[in-house]
Amino acid sequence: MGYGDVQMIDENGNRIDGRKAGDIRPIEIEMGVVPVADGSASMRWGTNYVIASVYGPMEAHPRKIQRQERAVLDVRYNMAPFSTTDRFRPGFNRRSREISKVTADALESVVLLELYPRSKIRVEIEIICAEAGTRCVGLTAASLALADAGIPMTDMVVSVASGKINGVVVCDLNKEEDNYGAADLPMGVLPNTGELVFLQMDGDLSPSEFQEAWDYNMEAALKIHELMKEAIANKYGGAQ
Amino acid sequence: MAQPLVPELLRAHLTELATRDQRADGRGQWEGRELSVEVGVLDRAEGSAKVQMGDTIVFCGIKFQLQTPYPDRPDEGGLMTSAELRPLAGRHIEPGPPSPESIEIGRVVDRGIRESGCINTKDLCIIPGEKVWQVIIDCFAISDDGNLFDAFGLAAIAALHNATLPGERFDVGEDRKLPVNKTPIMCSYQKVGGRFVYDSNREEEVGGDERIHITLGEDDHVHSLQKGLKGVFSASEFVEIMDAAKQRCAELRKIVDSL
Repeated sequence: MGYGDVQMIDENGNRIDGRKAGDIRPIEIEMGVVPVADGSASMRWGTNYVIASVYGPMEAHPRKIQRQERAVLDVRYNMAPFSTTDRFRPGFNRRSREISKVTADALESVVLLELYPRSKIRVEIEIICAEAGTRCVGLTAASLALADAGIPMTDMVVSVASGKINGVVVCDLNKEEDNYGAADLPMGVLPNTGELVFLQMDGDLSPSEFQEAWDYNMEAALKIHELMKEAIANKYGGAQ
Repeated sequence: MAQPLVPELLRAHLTELATRDQRADGRGQWEGRELSVEVGVLDRAEGSAKVQMGDTIVFCGIKFQLQTPYPDRPDEGGLMTSAELRPLAGRHIEPGPPSPESIEIGRVVDRGIRESGCINTKDLCIIPGEKVWQVIIDCFAISDDGNLFDAFGLAAIAALHNATLPGERFDVGEDRKLPVNKTPIMCSYQKVGGRFVYDSNREEEVGGDERIHITLGEDDHVHSLQKGLKGVFSASEFVEIMDAAKQRCAELRKIVDSL
């Protein structure tokens, strides 16, 4: 069955889970879920469930990976074997490796690495339950875990994707929409400046559809940022 | 695993505490940490459990696959257990292929479940000689503050009791509850400061010696044993921890059976 064959939006513009085109799935954030880590956070986003933990700054070894002027960021994205409908065979694969790399590239753009020369910061992202958009949830959860670890950053990273189903541009695709969707545009936004540190896209979008997807992501990122600030304030107090 | 900077000082401290019948976190010799067990916590698994023992947190997810039975056992399904120690769960865990430690844990958990007979592999038969279920038990650590063995063992049996065979999704009949007839329970003891204690935390693991894992089934039947790490123990020490295990396994079995 190709995309377009399955009706995902009704005549009133309601999606199969009842959302409108620009709505995001429900999000729940919990800070400090890994007690032995220096920082951690979990996000339930739709039926995605992602845990991120941070260790460090710590001594970078072997020494050949050390950088004299800054810390190195060691980021791993991994899917748990029970995170998908068919069991996910454990072990690193090309997809995980790519996502780990682009996530590291995004986080390196905000973490003040130059404060920790010759050291290493480990960021571990585990997808416990996958729905759709796990890379976005992983990147967002990782920035929360870095904040929980007290590692200085210029901004949080909020990541969200928009896409296209049945010719309609919609925000934050769920599993069914992702399976039959015709395009996917994940972005990583710095909410305080509106700059981007992460961008991918695949599929087919016209210039106007692309603009619409871009705007949905920007709008959603600001909403998610409010939830993130609230979760951090709940744990650490301070002005919201 | 990364070594602590001052293991000898830690060992001396734990030994000194042991002479006064004390433990670093104030527990008694046979006292476990605060425990919670939840089931049905993972949306994509056919059965699941989350176990928390102090700051040790683990998940277990049950998945099923169809497979062709072995020619010599045409009406029996399969069982597989894996334990993953991802670097998420502790600074001492290195990334990379499965470590000998994680393989040992997976195999010890597997033996307790397999040998207890809690899963009758004939219950997993769909078409003799053609199609049987394979049960896959995936243990996954979120936070390792010691004694992953017991946490995984408990999560695994709780998740099995919670599991449903997904017949409809695989187009081989209706969904039905996975038959689990028994509740094997593992209890682990580690020698710390010259004496055995129950449910060692990470500090005691680092500053301790050998550990012994005991899996007991109904009526105190022994289903698996494992001695790990360097160290010697006497027959009388073993009798002592076996008595402690009988009592603790019965308590834990009640908790799992009441879920």
